[in-house]
Amino acid sequence: MEHFRLFVLPFYAGAFFLLITLLCKYIYWFIGLSREQKRLFWRSLPTRATWKSVVEIFNESLLHRKIWRTNPLLGYMHTSFALGWFLLISVGWLETFVYFKGESVPLYVDIFFSYYVHPIFERNFNFSLIKDALLLLILVGVVLALFKRLYSRIMGMKRTTKHMLGDRVALTALWLIFPARLLAESLTSAEVWRFGGYVWTLSENTQLIPPGIGCGSFLTGSLGQWLADFLPARIIEAQHVELTAWWIYSIALGVFFVALPFSRYMHIFTEIPLIFLRNAGLRAAEKESSFDHFQVDACSRCGICIDPCQLQSGAGIQGVQSVYFLRDRRYGRLTDAVADNCLMCGRCQQACPVGIEQNTLRLNSRVKRAYPDSPNRYAYIQGKDLSTGEGKVGYFAGCMTLLTPKILRAMEQIFTAAGEEVWWADKNGGVCCGRPLKLSGEVDAARKMMDFNKNLFRQHGITTLVTSCPICLKVFKEDYALEGIEVLHHSEYLQRLLAEGRLKLRSGSETFTYHDPCELGRGSGIYEAPREVIAALGVLKEPAETREHALCCGSSLANTAIDDEGQRRIGEQVAMALAATGADSIVTACPLCKKGIAREATLPVYDLAEIVARAL
Amino acid sequence: MTGRVIIIGGGVAGMQTAITLDELGFKPVIIEKEASLGGKLCRWDRLFPTMTPAQEVLGDLLKRVEKTASEVRTSTTVSEIEEQGRGVTLSDGSRLDAEAVVVASGFDIFPAERKEEYGYGLYDNVYTTVDVERMFREGGVRMADGREPKTVAFLHCVGSRDEKVNQRHCSRVCCITGVKQAIEVKQQIPGAEIFSFYMDMRMFGPGYEELYRQAQQQYNIHFVRGRISEASPTIDHRIHIKAEDTLIGRPLRMSVDMLILAVGMQAGSSNVAFGRNNNIDLYPSGFLRPLNQFSGNVRSSSPRLFYAGTVTAPKNIGESINEGIAAAYQVAQTLNAAKS
Repeated sequence: MEHFRLFVLPFYAGAFFLLITLLCKYIYWFIGLSREQKRLFWRSLPTRATWKSVVEIFNESLLHRKIWRTNPLLGYMHTSFALGWFLLISVGWLETFVYFKGESVPLYVDIFFSYYVHPIFERNFNFSLIKDALLLLILVGVVLALFKRLYSRIMGMKRTTKHMLGDRVALTALWLIFPARLLAESLTSAEVWRFGGYVWTLSENTQLIPPGIGCGSFLTGSLGQWLADFLPARIIEAQHVELTAWWIYSIALGVFFVALPFSRYMHIFTEIPLIFLRNAGLRAAEKESSFDHFQVDACSRCGICIDPCQLQSGAGIQGVQSVYFLRDRRYGRLTDAVADNCLMCGRCQQACPVGIEQNTLRLNSRVKRAYPDSPNRYAYIQGKDLSTGEGKVGYFAGCMTLLTPKILRAMEQIFTAAGEEVWWADKNGGVCCGRPLKLSGEVDAARKMMDFNKNLFRQHGITTLVTSCPICLKVFKEDYALEGIEVLHHSEYLQRLLAEGRLKLRSGSETFTYHDPCELGRGSGIYEAPREVIAALGVLKEPAETREHALCCGSSLANTAIDDEGQRRIGEQVAMALAATGADSIVTACPLCKKGIAREATLPVYDLAEIVARAL
Repeated sequence: MTGRVIIIGGGVAGMQTAITLDELGFKPVIIEKEASLGGKLCRWDRLFPTMTPAQEVLGDLLKRVEKTASEVRTSTTVSEIEEQGRGVTLSDGSRLDAEAVVVASGFDIFPAERKEEYGYGLYDNVYTTVDVERMFREGGVRMADGREPKTVAFLHCVGSRDEKVNQRHCSRVCCITGVKQAIEVKQQIPGAEIFSFYMDMRMFGPGYEELYRQAQQQYNIHFVRGRISEASPTIDHRIHIKAEDTLIGRPLRMSVDMLILAVGMQAGSSNVAFGRNNNIDLYPSGFLRPLNQFSGNVRSSSPRLFYAGTVTAPKNIGESINEGIAAAYQVAQTLNAAKS
C-alpha cells in the first residue's frame, strides 16, 4: 500500500455506489418482468437478435448515429462524450495491461495511471499520444456542450430541456471531469519536467526520468512543459498543488457516479439492457409493466423531442413534452396536466434518438390514472343495431364522418359507381369504435364498445371492413382481432377500386396538397394509397414536412387538456404550411383533420373521398 | 377644404352617415360594393320586433340619400384606407382624396356550410334564416318539393358563440330573428309544429322579450334548451336531428320537415385589409376595435377615421342608424375644428 493516496477514495466510493445501485435497479426491474417477457429475453440469447443488439449499442450508445442525423455538431458532442470516454477508459486499461505485462495492480493505478506511472513513450507503444488525442476529442465536446447552452439553435435545437437541480449537479461534475483530468495530468508532467521522476515498475530497479523530458504527450506533455516554465518553482515543488488537482478529478468522478443513477445520465447504462430487451421483442403495453422502467430511465432528456412538438411550436405550451412527461413519471410526480396534454401525434417518437415508445408510455400512464369504469355506464348500447343494407363489404363511418356528412355522401356515390353491395354499420348512428375512450385511458370502457362492434361485424358476415376514419381504422387493426375480416382505410379501398378498374375518374390539371393524418401515417404506416389516388386525379404538391414528418392538425382526440385556442393555433400552423405549397386545395383522409384544418384554412379542404366522388 | 368625406359601405349606417353629413354641410361620397345601396336590409322581409316591412325603412333611407348632394359610387370596393384618413385607394387602383373616412362596411353572414354536421348545402330542406327571409319575400316558406312544412326546427347560434368555427362572440340579433321567423311560419302555417333549439335567449331590445313570450304563449312554439349535435337526411327527404334537452338532461331525436339555421354575423371579410392601416385595430373576432367602448364608439386612433354600424360589432338596425348620426357629428366636429 505504499503507493496508496487518499485522493482515490472519492472515486472508489462513487464507483462502488454506482455499481450497487445499477445492479439493484436492473435486477429488481428484471424480476418484475412477466413470465412471458422473461421467456422472450432468454430465448433471444444467443441469436441474431443478440448480435443486432451489440451492433445497435455500438451505433447508438457510442456513436449516436441518429443524433448525427439531427445535427452534426450535436452528434459530435454526444459521440465525443460517449465514444471518447469509452475509448479513454479502454485504452487506459490496455496501457496498464501492457505496462505491467498482465500483472494485477490495484484499480487506482489503472484509473490514475498518469499519477502513478509517468509514462514516457520512448519506452512503450505511444499510449500517451492516443490518450491525449481522446482527451482533446472530449474537451472539444465539453466546449460544444457549453456552447449549446448559449446557442442551441446553431446545434439544430431551437429549444432545449429545462433541467432539474440533480441533473445540474451531475452535469457540472461531468463537465468538470475532463478539464480536471487535463490539469492534473499536466501538473504531474510539469513536475517531471522540472525535477524529473522515476518510472514505477514491478521489479526492484526503478528507472529515473531526468529533468527536461517530462511525461504525457502533445496535450498534457506540452501543457506540462508550459506550466513548468511559467509557474514559480515553489508551486511545482509543493506537491499539494498537484495533489489538489488529482483530488478535484477524483471528486468530480465520485460526484458524477453518485448522481448518475438519479439523474438523466442513468440513460448511459440503461440504454444497453433496453436494446437487448427490445430486440428480444419486449414492448410497452396498454398497462404499465416493469419493462417501462428501462424505457423511462433510458431517456437522456436530450430534448430533441421538444422542437417537433407542435404544442410547443404552435400553441406555446411548455413543460408537457415527452422529455418532461418521462421525467415526471420517473420521479413519481406525474400530473394529469402533463399526462393528458399530448396530441399523441407521434412526432416526438419519430425524432427520439433512443426509440422510446412515447405514445404507449403516455397511454399506459393515462390508463393507470383513469377513473374505474362503472358497470352500467354503457348498458344502453346492448342490442343497438341500427345498421342497414347487406353486403360482404361493411362501411363504418365513425362519429367524425357522421359529423362531416360530405364524406359520407361521397362514399355513397363511390360505392354506387363501383357497384359494391354495402352493409352500412352506422349510417343511422352506432356505437363508437372505442379509440377515444382508450386514448383517454379508459380501456375497460373502451373494451365494451369494441366487443359490441366486433359482434356486430361478425353477425352481419362481412369479409371487408372499410372506414373513412383513421382513428377507427387504428383501433380495428390493433384491438379488434378481426380474423377473416380485412380492415381497409377508404384510401386503400379507393386505391384498390382504381387498380381493378372499377372506378373511372376524370383526371385534370388541378393541384392538390395532401395532409397525412397522424393515425393514418405514423399511426398505421399508410402513406402511398392516398397519394396514388390523388395522382389519378391531378397533381400532388407535397408540403415541406410530409409523410412520417407530417404535422398534426391539432384537433387530435388524444389531447383532453388543450383548450380550443391551442387547437386553433396548431390548425393555423398546419393550414399555413399546406397553403405554402401553392396548391389549389388541401386534401386529407381523416374527418377530424378536415375539420381541424378547415377552421383556419385559406384554401378549400376536402376529404379524399370527396375529390374522387367529384371526378366520377 | 373640399369637405369631401368618404363613407365605405352603403348599408343603413353608411346611408344615415351620408344624410347627416349632408345636413351638416359636407360632401359625402358613398362607396358601395354592390350594384345598389341598402346593404343587407335589401334581403330582409319584415323587421323584428314590430314586423315593419324592410322596404319601408329602406325606401325612406334611399329617398333621403337621394335628396342629398351625396355622390354614390356603386359596384366599387375600397382596397386600402390611407393611414391618416386623407383618402382611399379603390379596387381599380385609383385614389380618392378626402377630409375624413367613415368605415361602415358592415358584417358578413356566417356561411352555414362551415357547420358541415348540419348538412346545409348538402341535404334538401336545411335552410338559413337568410334563406327564410327570401322565402317570405317570395310568398312563404316552402320545402324543396314545394309543400308547406308540417314540422320545423330552428337552431339558434349557428356561427355564434361557437369556438369550433372561431366565432366566439354573440351576434345578438339572431335570437330575436329566430323568434320572429318562428311566429311568421306559424302565421303562415297555423298547423305547423315548431321547435326552437337554443343555448340562451338573449332578448336585449325593446319589445323583444314580449315577442318571445308571445311566441311561447300565443303561438305555442316549443323552445328546447340544447343544441342540435348533428342532422342527417331520412329516406323521404326529411331531416333527422340529434339533440340534448339540457333542462331535463336527456338526449333527444326527432325528424322534422325543415331545419332552419339561425346564422350569425361574422366580421366583414374586408376588415383584414383595412387592418393594414396602423390606425385601425381589430378585435380577435375580426370586427374593428373602436377607440373605446364608452365615449369613443365611432372613433379610431386617427382623428380622421371613423366607424359606424356593424363593422365594429353585431348591432340591430336602429343602433346602426344611430351610429351613422354619431359618426357624422364627430366628423363635423373634427373638420370644423381643423378649419377654424
